Amino acid sequence: MAITEKTPLELGPGDTARYAERPLGVFTRPQEGRGWRDWLSTVDHKRIGILYGASAMFFFLVGGVEALLIRLQLAAPEGSVLGADVYNQVYTMHGVTMVFLFIMPLAAAFANYFIPLQIGARDVAFPRLNALSYWIWLSGAIFLNTSWIVGGGGADCGWFCYSTNSGVAFSPSHGVDFYAIGLQILGIASLVSSVNLIVTCLNMRAPGMTLMRMPVLTWMLLITQFLLLFALPVITVALFLLMFDRLFDAQFFNPDAGADPLLWQHLFWIFGHPEVYIIILPAFGVVSEIIPTFSRKPLFGYEFMVFSGIAIGFMGWGVWAHHMFVSGMGPISVAAFSLSTMFIAVPTGVKVLNWLATMWGGKLRFTVAMKFAVATVAMFTIGGLSGVTHSVAPADTQQTDTYYIVAHFHYVIFGGGVLGLFAGLYFWWPKVWGHFLNERLGNWNFWIMLVGFNLTFGPMHILGLQGMSRRIDTYARGYGFEFWNMAATVGSLLIAVSVLIFMWNVVKSKRDAPHLPPPGPDPWDARSLEWSIPSPVPTHNFDTVPQVHGRDEWWHSKYAENDEGQVVRVATTEEAAQTGEATGVHLPSPSFWPLAVAVGLPLIGYGLIFNLWLALVGALLTIASLYSWAMEPVDDPDAAHDHHEEHHEAGDAEPDDEGDQP
Amino acid sequence: MSAEPLVADHAHDVSDHGHDPHATTTGLSHTKLAMWVFLGSECLLFGGLISTYLLYKTRGNGRTLPTDVFDIPFTSVSSFVLLMSSLTMVLALSAVSRGEDEAGRTWLLATALLGGIFVGGQVYEFTSFVREGVAFTTNPASSAFFTLTGFHGVHVSLGIVMLMSLFVASVKGKLTQRNAETVEIVGLYWHFVDIVWIFIFTVIYLIPAD
Amino acid sequence: MRTSRPLNRVLAWVLLLFVAAIATGCASDAELDTFAPQGPIARELHSRGVLPVFWIAAVVFVGITVAMVWLIWRHRVSSYEGDDQWPAQTHGHVPLEVGWTVGFLVTMAAVAVLMLWSLPTVDATEANTMEVAVDGHSVTWEPTVVVVGNQWWWEFRYYFSDQVDLADLRAHGDAKTLPPADIVTSGQMMIPTGEEIELIITSRDVIHSFWIPALNGKRDAVPNRFSPWKIEASDPGFYFGQCTEFCGLSHSRMRMQTVALSPADFQAWVDDTTQDATEPTDPAALAGLEVFSGICTSCHVIEGVNDDVFERADQASGAAPNLTHFANRSTFAGAIFNTYNADGSLNRVQLEAWLRNPGDLKANYTVPGEQYRGMPDLDLSEQQIDDLVAYLSGLGARPADWIIEASQVE
Repeated sequence: MAITEKTPLELGPGDTARYAERPLGVFTRPQEGRGWRDWLSTVDHKRIGILYGASAMFFFLVGGVEALLIRLQLAAPEGSVLGADVYNQVYTMHGVTMVFLFIMPLAAAFANYFIPLQIGARDVAFPRLNALSYWIWLSGAIFLNTSWIVGGGGADCGWFCYSTNSGVAFSPSHGVDFYAIGLQILGIASLVSSVNLIVTCLNMRAPGMTLMRMPVLTWMLLITQFLLLFALPVITVALFLLMFDRLFDAQFFNPDAGADPLLWQHLFWIFGHPEVYIIILPAFGVVSEIIPTFSRKPLFGYEFMVFSGIAIGFMGWGVWAHHMFVSGMGPISVAAFSLSTMFIAVPTGVKVLNWLATMWGGKLRFTVAMKFAVATVAMFTIGGLSGVTHSVAPADTQQTDTYYIVAHFHYVIFGGGVLGLFAGLYFWWPKVWGHFLNERLGNWNFWIMLVGFNLTFGPMHILGLQGMSRRIDTYARGYGFEFWNMAATVGSLLIAVSVLIFMWNVVKSKRDAPHLPPPGPDPWDARSLEWSIPSPVPTHNFDTVPQVHGRDEWWHSKYAENDEGQVVRVATTEEAAQTGEATGVHLPSPSFWPLAVAVGLPLIGYGLIFNLWLALVGALLTIASLYSWAMEPVDDPDAAHDHHEEHHEAGDAEPDDEGDQP
Repeated sequence: MSAEPLVADHAHDVSDHGHDPHATTTGLSHTKLAMWVFLGSECLLFGGLISTYLLYKTRGNGRTLPTDVFDIPFTSVSSFVLLMSSLTMVLALSAVSRGEDEAGRTWLLATALLGGIFVGGQVYEFTSFVREGVAFTTNPASSAFFTLTGFHGVHVSLGIVMLMSLFVASVKGKLTQRNAETVEIVGLYWHFVDIVWIFIFTVIYLIPAD
Repeated sequence: MRTSRPLNRVLAWVLLLFVAAIATGCASDAELDTFAPQGPIARELHSRGVLPVFWIAAVVFVGITVAMVWLIWRHRVSSYEGDDQWPAQTHGHVPLEVGWTVGFLVTMAAVAVLMLWSLPTVDATEANTMEVAVDGHSVTWEPTVVVVGNQWWWEFRYYFSDQVDLADLRAHGDAKTLPPADIVTSGQMMIPTGEEIELIITSRDVIHSFWIPALNGKRDAVPNRFSPWKIEASDPGFYFGQCTEFCGLSHSRMRMQTVALSPADFQAWVDDTTQDATEPTDPAALAGLEVFSGICTSCHVIEGVNDDVFERADQASGAAPNLTHFANRSTFAGAIFNTYNADGSLNRVQLEAWLRNPGDLKANYTVPGEQYRGMPDLDLSEQQIDDLVAYLSGLGARPADWIIEASQVE
């Protein structure tokens, strides 16, 4: 359905807000305010970013508890903490939670918050669709986890959920149904969000912000959105087939009827491998912002960084079957995918060396953000290189589905992705909240996390090469697995401690903030546009939309190079920064409809599983909400205009006369 | 400008009257660009479904295959009807953007009607296939066939809903030359769904199963 | 805590850990160790496919890490406070960047060559044959074992009289109704040393993966597919394996072993196992046969007892281990328990516990009215259990002492 977002219109100078008088449908149009209701109806990309971030951190704790349960079960041979059945559910939900409910939404938080700021925009292209993405994501996340309560347990098929083990005969609880439908709901959220952010990036750049002047974080996030755009429909197809098989007796994965279980694997990994880059590229972007700032140098080889990101995005589509080297798909495919996998290491390696070259000759200041960023590069290098070792398909026949792979992808996803996003949290925290995270606690957080991470996942390389299979709920004595498993469990507890320290840091730094000097707009002497505006960011982002003259626009408004090539300050931050005191900037009005639409979707899901009448209720709610949404202008209607089209026409004709004049 | 953008960039300053306040970086409106981006995603959705069918088209589990019961003449006619609806869609857009509301409504209705005939034909085709022993759960080939064509049918039906919404808006006088772009955007979707059908018809119906 | 903490110390520590990882991997004597190949295929795979790329990765890793540690040590400052000197603003250096792009390309090209060089190691099969005597006839056997995954045990089928190859089985299609074989055994695969054994791998229910690390890498057992694989052992020995594709509840308790026998021992094993089951003589064993015929035959086959009437096991996979030569195998229940104690005596404790309630020892799914996966609780009386143990322990020749000894994992 083409939901057309109408333009937010301009107010006359001096106007700051405008409120609805007229109830729309069952709701009174929500108004800007400060209460919790405001968060339910917000369409502000920054608030939505914060919602994504906070929810992601909540699910990080959920997934973390699942991880600890896994490690407790495996700490010693013949573990009996969970038992096979619960273990299978826990490890499945750990993977699903960390991928879909933690890293992706945390990256979405950065994307929502910073893409508009970095390109000099006041919001995303479709603010209400943005809210819709978040609420659909949240409803999908809750739906997925209610499987523990009403579905007879979580999905027990692994996050990859291979056919035929995912069939009703082999996974009789409703867990897999919740997986199939829940991931579809999450997919809708990501798809809507990716369309929105792609349009934002392409269409809403400030004057002069050409593509090749966009900050690398925005670039990497844009590539991520394209990967999402093209990867999600493929897994949606796979999930549809699975759902039809389980709920409506379709024959897609019934080998007795001649079906091929490898169909699922191909569809899943055509999505699943780009998904790896969806996870890692945002972290690359974060690192590419932090390392230059704390090296006092521009990013080395911007073009190479951008194009290697694009290259990774493209090549990421041609490597999926390296997850299937032992599936028996035939030697030609194995050789082809083995080769393509090797060559995707090239752009990745280029990125690592360019980061090092950025540091080379710089003045490296190791704030917590910088420590996390450099650790991201170091840990990702390990993960990338262990990836090269099993890109060699014959070697992979020894390594695949062992703990060596578990070690590998945790070095990539945790060492690259999570450490990178933590770097981003420490870096941009003052921008978002107007106060720093405590550096002392941050150092504890960093060192304990780094040591715990390496203690958890480092030994898994050994375990894998010693032949420990993945996804086993227990192992026998005498295979030599005891020592390193115990080490990994100790390491996982250290990670848990470091996360608790982070949580405490969030609380403590907020409590201490009133007693400390505020960070000001640009505490790190950084480079991109978000640092040119006050911290926290005012609702309207920019008082005046910046005119962009080159890369690192903000840095260049503070510094210039003299004839000898030395950097001289041309303006102080105070002189160059915007004050955030603009009036008359009009912003889209809040809306409850995105939330209402999102509530309908899980009802459809429950309905498909338990009772089709419930699905009907959910569908009606969703359709009614979509319709009400379409009837609701992006702006508050005012007394002068009964129909939004009229309102709109008037707005197009005379923007400044639009609205409630005082 | 024949198509006044419905959506404008609000990332500009209120005092900045100097240039067109609705200018976007690419010159395309947000909504139109979003539709293009969304259709890119749809390509992979149908790509996945078509691949699934091609993998499974001969896997009959000893029972009747969809290819055994295809009625090519019938489906050719309904494909022709759907293709003609693309023509009427173009005429609808042309009429609306010239400000000929009456003609625009006629062509919108005609497009929806042709789409409706196609969907009706599909419903008839499905029921006759089921009568001939090819149901959704018969074999992998039939599951893949019904899922693919059913998905396409749902897309056509959604398009009809959009067309009828435009028609109603036009009757109420809310669809005018100014927002002809909305018609263009719905048209993009409609043509896309048509083009997908050309693929499906060629690959699934016309190329024989070996 | 000041920001000038020695990051390089931690990095060095990480490096040490990584080196230790590889070192321990090599030095370990763990049964499933992938760095301890025991046959020509696995050795070649290790030396061509695994080790060179590990060395390449290690060199790159050391290079990048040393560079990073050096950069950190050389360029770190504690603060920008009062420092308005900015370093030279290098925006990039195209020749340098092209240089390391090409450098990585060349490195990966080298890895690609290694891959193409080692790929035939695991994939290409040779047409070796050996003479095997079956029922007094000498048969030229192209050593082949059909490997079938089931929840949660492996079946191994040997075809001597009517030999099958990959194409035959692909044409046949259905893993649930495979052509009758001369030997059907489970959990333990017996192979002759010095021969390349072609494996044809499939599954009857979900995807499993067959893996004997000492003899070759792994290959998935996919329902509705027959995939080729091969193994070879240089010396007689007992080689452990573990299912490596997640296959549901008892994935972790789906193990297997390959026992390599000298050609003479292998012939002796073939002689034994092509026979029908031993007829019991003592009263307890006779009573056990009675129990078996009454209860166990809905799933299990014993040749000479119910193979003529048996059609399909009451399991999702339609199969259960063939028990004709139960006592000939040194492990049971998906190769997770030893049939014999270290001193050579029957492992009566575990066998009885298993018969008492299999679900206690190995997770299964045996909800009445639904398809069983795994052996259900048969509600046997102690007397019935004793009789069954007496019967089963007499089925087949006791394996050699060295096999019993090698099965003990401690």
